[in-house]
Amino acid sequence: MILHDKNLLNNLALIEEADSLENAGFISKEQKKIIKKEVPAFKSQNNILVRLGFFLLGSFLYLSICGVISLLGLTGGGSERYFFNICFYLFAVVGIIGAEILMNNKYYRHGLDDAFVLGILLNIGIGVFVLTEYYFRQYYYLDYYNSVQNDYTAILTAFFVAIASFLTYRRYLHLLSLLVFCLASSAVIFFGMYQLGDIGKSILPFVVMLASAGFYFFTKNRIKNLTKVYYYNGLLLVNSFCLILFYLSCNYLVVRELSSELLGTDVLLGQDIPFAFFFYAFTFIVPAVYLFQAIKTKDRIMLWISFAAIAFTIFTIRFYYSVLAIEGALTIGGIILFAIAYFSIQKLKNKETGLTFKPDRINNSNAILNAQTLIVASTFGLKPEVKTDSPMDFGGGGFSGGGSGGTF
Amino acid sequence: MIKFEEKATQDLFDRKLITENQYQEITTYRSLNIFSLNTELKLLLSLSVLMFTSGIGILIYDNIDSIGHIALLAILLVLICGCFYYCFKNSKGFQKTETTSESPFLEYIVLIANVLTCIFIGYLQFQYEVFGTHYGLATLIPTLVSFICAYYFDNKSVLTIAVTGLAAYVGLSVTPQDIFNDNNHFYYDQSLSFSAIMLGVLLILWTIYSFRINLKTHFAFIYLTFALHIISVASIANLPHHDWTWLLFAAFLAGSSYYFYKISHEQKAISIYVFMIIYAYIGFNIFLFRIFENVDFSDLWELFIFLLPAYFIGSIVMFIKLIKKFNKEIA
Repeated sequence: MILHDKNLLNNLALIEEADSLENAGFISKEQKKIIKKEVPAFKSQNNILVRLGFFLLGSFLYLSICGVISLLGLTGGGSERYFFNICFYLFAVVGIIGAEILMNNKYYRHGLDDAFVLGILLNIGIGVFVLTEYYFRQYYYLDYYNSVQNDYTAILTAFFVAIASFLTYRRYLHLLSLLVFCLASSAVIFFGMYQLGDIGKSILPFVVMLASAGFYFFTKNRIKNLTKVYYYNGLLLVNSFCLILFYLSCNYLVVRELSSELLGTDVLLGQDIPFAFFFYAFTFIVPAVYLFQAIKTKDRIMLWISFAAIAFTIFTIRFYYSVLAIEGALTIGGIILFAIAYFSIQKLKNKETGLTFKPDRINNSNAILNAQTLIVASTFGLKPEVKTDSPMDFGGGGFSGGGSGGTF
Repeated sequence: MIKFEEKATQDLFDRKLITENQYQEITTYRSLNIFSLNTELKLLLSLSVLMFTSGIGILIYDNIDSIGHIALLAILLVLICGCFYYCFKNSKGFQKTETTSESPFLEYIVLIANVLTCIFIGYLQFQYEVFGTHYGLATLIPTLVSFICAYYFDNKSVLTIAVTGLAAYVGLSVTPQDIFNDNNHFYYDQSLSFSAIMLGVLLILWTIYSFRINLKTHFAFIYLTFALHIISVASIANLPHHDWTWLLFAAFLAGSSYYFYKISHEQKAISIYVFMIIYAYIGFNIFLFRIFENVDFSDLWELFIFLLPAYFIGSIVMFIKLIKKFNKEIA
């Protein structure tokens, strides 16, 4: 099923390893050059900026080809409706041809291939959407806004996109399609439960929770017994996605807002949603479990997910209860964070093995630290004064920092 | 993942691409089982600085009339003095080259001290108008303080604040979110565009001078990044003008693209290179459009659409060549 040469895929791991060893200073630059020469490899772009640039160019190319096809298709008289129904499938075929050509020429993780593969999925999604909508209107005489029809359209679209994205992943080993697959299959579960009526809607959080937990352990098991290195990233992605989905499925904020959206029940004053206690506990306990588990198993991705989950938990609380005014919360939060970081650093500073503050030679994430400067520039950057006569508008805006909108 | 990384190292060793010594070194290092929280904790620190200073800023802004001014100023001053005391005590003093500090906190305390100083000066001006109606001074003084801090403590974050302050003094907003949204309205304000380009040129000249006297040459990347974006955005925004000035801006863009093409190779900075190419490409397309603007295409537009894919394929081939060339030259 995989289009790529297996040897090249295995070599990819070798080259990545050589890169990280060179960064870590274990091997010299010349040695890495020799390795790159010795080991045949894909044409890929590791720099995210370059890859993004090629993605944009690839999208332009894709769009211009689609433009040519539309021009040809729309010249016949009276066939516009028919053409409109099928044109997205034609565009998807263009994407498939483009992706096949690129992959056969060893373009992988290059940016151009991303544009074409994502184009396939997008066009299949739109195509299915347009066709089901047309079909319903034609044969069932339902209104355009009829909710039944919309639900079917949504579930069918999600279903076909899920299948297509799984196929593109299996054929091209394209990671982003796997992410699309995860999102689309969650949407299938969501809309499927929605179809089941009120019961489905009320047990939706639990179904999603169980499903994500099930897939989490399934993928974890697969990773453990994995022998082919090129499937690792994909499994890891699904694994992490399940972690996030698990937390969100029973988060109090998500459940409460969704239940008022889907079931139309507004929470009255002094009342709460059913099982509120469980959802509250879940919102608090899961991030903590993630954090401890991540540090225990030395799992960096889980660590980052736990940070995000903690932040979302704080957001959840502040969404319903205004514990402190924003300035107090920010100041005190800042002090607490600083204290946590300070004590952790003091504790880890002199450790040489295991959990430590010393930068890891092999897996260092310096790129993220470089982004720090950018963040500072965008929050604290000074802005020109507004030239008015009123002394109230003397400007110099950014002084007050983030959130204040720069009108100090 | 460790399993696969070890296997990859083993493979490299088996293929005789790394020596036995290196292999041993790597496996011993891996057996230490290091899990470094360096990045995470540093990010936590910068987040805390961000939150703390923002909180203080809003606190002062909201309570500017309620708490006694003197009390507020005094608290701020005490905080600033405390931070600066820590900084001076822990820093190695001014050095012309890049310095590394023993303490991981120094960088962040410098940032706090600097931002609080800016708030302090802003507050002084707001309440007591110490600079009278010379509003420019109220921007220039924090900028100066930031420059001194950045050079003395060797702090890149503070340097970016200083550069944005300098641009603000000229009348530009160059924070990342503003320069791309064109909050400066370059198109409607040509004199501002000229001053933007002047500022960019000044920054470039300063980097050249710094290289000559060997002063903090690692700051050059920040100056050049600012210069590239300021000049290019200002020039591109002025390309659609209907009078002859657009040709002038096209010339500016061409000149700056050439300069940054050269300098990105010298600095081995791929981000400057890529952004230079993107700006040049956008500029080139607008240029083509302006040239063909006067030709009547009404009968030929279909042909134009048929030609588009070929044009993009050509661009892609050219881009691939450019990137390949760059990677070869800096390697």
